[in-house]
Amino acid sequence: MTNPVKRLQATAEEFKHKDSKDKKRYIVDTILNNALYILMLIFIIYTANKQPNFLTWGSFANLITQVAAYLPLALGIAGCIVLTGTDLSAGRVAGLTAAVSAVLLQKTDFANKMFNNLPAITPGWILVAMLIVVAIGALIGLVNGFFVAKFSLHPFIVTLSTQLITYGIILWFFGLNGNNGQPISGLSQEYKNAIGGAMFRMQNVPIPNYVAYALLLTVLMWFIWNKTTFGKNMFAVGSNAEAAKVSGVNVFMTTMLVHTLAGAMYGYSGFIEGVRSGSVAASTGLNAECDAIAACVIGGVSFVGGTGKISGIIMGVFVLRIIFVALTMLGVDSSSLYIIKGAIILCACALDMRKYLVKK
Amino acid sequence: MKKLIAIALALVMVLGLVACGGNTTETTAPAGATGTQAEGNKPASDLKVTAFWYEESDVYLSSVRNALNKELDALGVTHDDQFAANDQAKQLDQIKTAIAGGSNLLVVNVVTSGAPDTAKDILDAAGDIPVIFFNRAIGTEGADVPVLTEAKNAAFIGTDAPEAGHIQGKMIGQYLVEHFDEVDLNKDGKISYAMMKGEEANIEAIFRTQYSVEDADKVLTEAGKPALEYFDAKNTDKYQVDQGGAWSATAAKEYMDTNFVTYNEAAGNMIELVICNNDGMAEGVIASLQEKGYNKEGAHVVPVFGVDATDNAKALIADGAMTGTVKQDAEGMAYAIAQAVSGISEGKAAPEALKNALTDERFSIAEDCAAKLYVAYAPYTGE
Repeated sequence: MTNPVKRLQATAEEFKHKDSKDKKRYIVDTILNNALYILMLIFIIYTANKQPNFLTWGSFANLITQVAAYLPLALGIAGCIVLTGTDLSAGRVAGLTAAVSAVLLQKTDFANKMFNNLPAITPGWILVAMLIVVAIGALIGLVNGFFVAKFSLHPFIVTLSTQLITYGIILWFFGLNGNNGQPISGLSQEYKNAIGGAMFRMQNVPIPNYVAYALLLTVLMWFIWNKTTFGKNMFAVGSNAEAAKVSGVNVFMTTMLVHTLAGAMYGYSGFIEGVRSGSVAASTGLNAECDAIAACVIGGVSFVGGTGKISGIIMGVFVLRIIFVALTMLGVDSSSLYIIKGAIILCACALDMRKYLVKK
Repeated sequence: MKKLIAIALALVMVLGLVACGGNTTETTAPAGATGTQAEGNKPASDLKVTAFWYEESDVYLSSVRNALNKELDALGVTHDDQFAANDQAKQLDQIKTAIAGGSNLLVVNVVTSGAPDTAKDILDAAGDIPVIFFNRAIGTEGADVPVLTEAKNAAFIGTDAPEAGHIQGKMIGQYLVEHFDEVDLNKDGKISYAMMKGEEANIEAIFRTQYSVEDADKVLTEAGKPALEYFDAKNTDKYQVDQGGAWSATAAKEYMDTNFVTYNEAAGNMIELVICNNDGMAEGVIASLQEKGYNKEGAHVVPVFGVDATDNAKALIADGAMTGTVKQDAEGMAYAIAQAVSGISEGKAAPEALKNALTDERFSIAEDCAAKLYVAYAPYTGE
């Protein structure tokens, strides 16, 4: 990385030497390429103007908390999108793992406890429970990856199938031990504290522990994407699977691993989901993949494949949560909320494609 | 190797189909009791009942299904369940398929509630076969009456959709009259409330959202107290809705977290009452409040009201974290359906058969139509 100031000076120097037509095009291009961020900035200023509370530490804490909850799913699904694929099973996998974690970590003296002969809730057992649900997520991801890689099926169809299968398992699971489809609740205090306990407060708004975990996961994913052979292979396969194969990349293994890693991330999402809302129902996780995919695309992880940055995904999740928080604070009616969200996703994708078309 | 996998896949498919087939025989197994009539002590019935459910994951309907299957087993009729995954077109296909498969009594929980035309389509498909609609209303404010009367062999068993809202509203009103000063945190003499709506276009959600506030206001003004005030003057909807339409705890929690930034005790405009369309959303609201240090032992309790009386909500009410809910009587609903089924097996027409269920005050025939039976809601504030 060069010095940003020097880079800016160089760009300015270059800009001076252009003729007026090129200058104009350069300015338009820059604006268009950053249109989403400019729009968001205008939107934030507008919201803050109407509702001064939007720009307070408490509001920021609330925003961060929501971003941290939505980020893991997006980080997982992004890998599948880099491979020009997608993953429709993400939400249901998170739903299943949320249910499993809730059952494993229910209060020992809870009246409606589903399984009675579980160990006492200790930090060790909470960690084991997390590893179990991450493994369940990874296993479903592995199945996805295997079918995508082995039979060259489009991930859309593979993950659609596993989405259905997972939902079936969820319904079966909720019917176990006389639970009859009731939501699973009565989570133990130790589990709640480990995930949702406040690290510190900003204007009385608690920052839960899972914000720190999300940060750790982001660093981990950044490392995997940028510093490992596996990460480099992932981008190579995403840009051009044939070329990657010829240059000696194990396409089969890479595809399997990307989906497995994604599944593990959904498993983790499920692990925090129950604590976030206090209970897990069979419908938990429904359509959660839509928000995650939208966040990735807004953040520049293109469906064209082979492009995407962790920072982009974070931006994407932020954009979606800012829209939610700001419109809620503005008291906008729900019909406009859908329209605005849809319009933003559409514009973001159009701008993203434009970059790609220009390159071509 | 590839061939081996292909064969394995084919085997899995075959096994899957066989397993499903096995399942059907298993669900009809209780009816096997019908087959063993020689030694059976119950008179065998040639009824083949198929129950159609709008969605398998619905918490309240799961309780109904469980109770209903037991009741039908006891009656000794063949029965099975079909799930429409929230898709009305799919449900119609299922109904036609079941009729082709020999079902001669349809118990239908429609997907699209409040649409008499949908019910008409189902009745047309059913022809002479009796149909018992239940739970989800086929038309509101009397729109279902012509359809039911014309069909002659159809009936509706359910709750009077607006009733849950009315009961919730009265319960809230009474609670506030008794605890007004305690609830009014900022002592401005008014109660500011938040409303969590489960689904935008669902008729039950619409009624609950409307009547809970209207009726609470009525009770309050009769007692000489000011009406409720929505916490956010800018929001003309006067509710916040789960955008996924899933009545979910997560959506309610996120709204509360966000509301809390602007509306809190320090700012003197804290939300003092939360009304939720169902208990799931109430749980999400309570999770948010507890994070902020409310609704715990020894802390101020912001009253939160739901509908359904799920086991979890009952537990929260027992702990003092939740204030009240409205009980939908799942066993009562199943009992009423089973009684109607037994009436039909005696050879009565569907509207006549409904009268079999009129055994106690929980059940009443609707005033506007003899083919409608209502199962009463009841307020629940702990045992």
